Amino acid sequence: MAQLKLSIGQHSDRGRKEANQDFHGAMIPAEPVLGLKGVAVALADGISSSKVGRIAAESAVGGFLSDYYCTPDSWSVKTSAQRVIAATNSWLDAQTRRTAHADEHDKDRGHVCTLSAVVVKSRTAHVFHVGDSRVYRRVGNSLEQLTTDHRVVVSSEQTYLGRALGINAEVEIDYQAIALEPGDVLVLATDGVYEHVEPRSVVQAIADCPDLDGAARKIVETAYQRGSPDNLTVQIVRIDALPDGEAAELEAHTGLPLPPLPEPGALFDGYRIVRRLHGSSRSHVYLAVDTDAGAEPVVLKIPSIDLRGDPAYLRRFAMEEWVARRLDNPHLLKARPPARPRNWLYVVTEFVDGRTLSQWMVDNPRPELETVRGIVEQIAAGLQALHRREMLHQDLRPENVMVDGDGTAKIIDFGATRVAGIAEAEPSDGDAILGTAQYAAPEYFVGEVGTMRSDIYSLGVIAYQMLSGRLPYGARMAQARTRQQQRRVAYASVLDDARAIPAWIDGTLRKAVHPEPSRRYGELSEFLHDLRHPNRELLDANPAPLMARNPLLFWKALSAVLAVALLLLLALHFGRFH
Amino acid sequence: MAYLVPSEFVTKMVDAGESKIFMSTKDTVIRAYMAGAILALAAFMAVTIITQTGMPIVGASFFPVGFCMLYLLGFDLLTGVFVLCPLAVIDRRPGCTWGGVARNWMLVFLGNFAGAVTVAFFAAVICTFGFSTEPDKVGQTLGNIGVARTLGYEKYGAAGMATLFIRGMLCNWMVSTGVVGAMISTNVTGKVIAMWMPIMLFFFMVFEHSIVNMFLFPSALMLGGKFSILDYFIWNEIPTVLGNLVGGLAFTGLTLYATHIKTSPKREPARVRAVA
Repeated sequence: MAQLKLSIGQHSDRGRKEANQDFHGAMIPAEPVLGLKGVAVALADGISSSKVGRIAAESAVGGFLSDYYCTPDSWSVKTSAQRVIAATNSWLDAQTRRTAHADEHDKDRGHVCTLSAVVVKSRTAHVFHVGDSRVYRRVGNSLEQLTTDHRVVVSSEQTYLGRALGINAEVEIDYQAIALEPGDVLVLATDGVYEHVEPRSVVQAIADCPDLDGAARKIVETAYQRGSPDNLTVQIVRIDALPDGEAAELEAHTGLPLPPLPEPGALFDGYRIVRRLHGSSRSHVYLAVDTDAGAEPVVLKIPSIDLRGDPAYLRRFAMEEWVARRLDNPHLLKARPPARPRNWLYVVTEFVDGRTLSQWMVDNPRPELETVRGIVEQIAAGLQALHRREMLHQDLRPENVMVDGDGTAKIIDFGATRVAGIAEAEPSDGDAILGTAQYAAPEYFVGEVGTMRSDIYSLGVIAYQMLSGRLPYGARMAQARTRQQQRRVAYASVLDDARAIPAWIDGTLRKAVHPEPSRRYGELSEFLHDLRHPNRELLDANPAPLMARNPLLFWKALSAVLAVALLLLLALHFGRFH
Repeated sequence: MAYLVPSEFVTKMVDAGESKIFMSTKDTVIRAYMAGAILALAAFMAVTIITQTGMPIVGASFFPVGFCMLYLLGFDLLTGVFVLCPLAVIDRRPGCTWGGVARNWMLVFLGNFAGAVTVAFFAAVICTFGFSTEPDKVGQTLGNIGVARTLGYEKYGAAGMATLFIRGMLCNWMVSTGVVGAMISTNVTGKVIAMWMPIMLFFFMVFEHSIVNMFLFPSALMLGGKFSILDYFIWNEIPTVLGNLVGGLAFTGLTLYATHIKTSPKREPARVRAVA
């Protein structure tokens, strides 16, 4: 599999100024960070009216390069970079205000700089930009400017920065994502360079010098010779090779060979297999002990033979451990860090001594409301931990929840989890529904992307099933394939003559499993609150007015009435004349 | 590895049954219609081959192409859903009820029937140049089959009915073995070979297949076979459907389920004992 490969050349010079207030930097990490986070290149230009421009530029670039690589891997590039830049901006703004108080309230003397940054990850370049530095892409013999200059022109001699870091507490950051091809060249430059060198000479310099640092130096020299009065900085990024569409860190995992199915008692990669726990056409799960680390039991999960030919499945399989490793919550299954290099593709997790929630439901057909609430709250706690890191579970069902001997509930399967940072690097899986028909939210069946409300729907169905032993919509919701059909599917009340379920719980569950995501609970905490406190709004026997329930229908009906009235009036009007 | 271990393919069968219960009406009917039509085309070809060569084994050898095509395209036959859907209910999958199974069977029956009758009509047109001539040789063979396999059974009364039922049973034992065989294989070649063997066997042995018969008898009627629609249903289709249902479920679905599946994970908390 091809890896991301790129060459970077850069040069900066103070030129005719006494100090260089430009700052630039680049970071090419090693695997696995390269695949997870990509390569970051940044350049900043401190405003020349300020003595601390250099400090501002240095903090902006340095902060970006170091903080970006500290963000959680599950954040998308856009989220990570924007948050890092926003944090740097607030720091610079605080510095500006502190010095401005001392320096007669003059913001021109503050910690103000531009910032242009490019993150190359997978097959995409993410461009972030504030101020009047520029990012270009080479197109044929010329350069295409990707960024917009945030400049306010006062006169032909005088211009101001319209937007920059360190001016306000909040900053608007331009963002764009550009699909890359091998051979693409990106150029970052400050105004001292681009105002004095025409694009053709830049392209020529890159073509002439095999060494990109040399090319950068040549461009800076050209600008200097043509009389540029400013600091001169240019960075050149050339894409030599791109990975094949999948995020590279997953390649490392899926590249491992697929293991045979071991027998109990056998040695498997340093683990002794105790027995088989579960086997299905999705995966095989074994209880095992690590022969090195004493007799602590672990669980090994091995891909099923059926799905070994399916790259999307193997990618999700590798992702599963990756998700589990990054989470630390008592209600989420923990992955065991690999103690030694692995020879096969499999996942090692902690062993949960218990039964699945579906087995629990068989064993406890009539649970106390408090018991149900306790388990639902624990699952919700696990979900909240996922959601906080911008992840969606997407396949929450009773088979994926374990209840141990102490009554602790744990979500055990992350095979369908959608991670915000990874979803963008992954080619689309098409319209495959990863969830299970009974528990997947209706929006998945009409091809929409899930949200946190989709996980709330699944949890609502589980709560409903634990209380009543039934499903709120039976098989009918999965059979509906359009929004309209879904709306027509009737919700069956959770209340049951044979069971003691308080009436107000029905309103809560009905809202949690509403087919329309916008009319479900927006937050897990609201759902949990309504499970404990009767909600008057949901109890109200009088339905809400049409205007509130369905504004579109209300206005349609009103328009229809008006149209009829208009026609009647016209008819009367003409009738009088004839 | 080119085939699945039992624990995988049996859960796959249950999953398949579950997904069919949850399938939308539109998808169920379209898939059933196409399956009936493709199988009917293959039957038409097999009858043509037998008429031309006079050797039933040659027709039976080529008949499985239809089954392979419809399986690979993901279409559903009544004989297949007879075996798969009940497993989801028996396995207590949430939301899977006998009502859902009956709904699926009904839709698949109607779809298969409509598809097969469509091809039967096309076949009748072909054999008679649009009903302008007497049926050609293939048309006559189809008409004869229709008479032999309705009135032929009726002649023996209850014994005939029992024969018909047993032939139906044996038929779906074989056909559903083909379905399972296709699930066990992980590549197209393996799937085709696994399906070919049992399908060839049943066709050569003249076991009664409810969907093949949905083509044979309506086309025979259109080509002037000397039997009535009522004869067709009472002395063939209905006993065949019942035989198919019992045979497939008893010999394939339930046997595999009973020996290979763990209905649920172990109840008692699992303790790790001394390690061998």
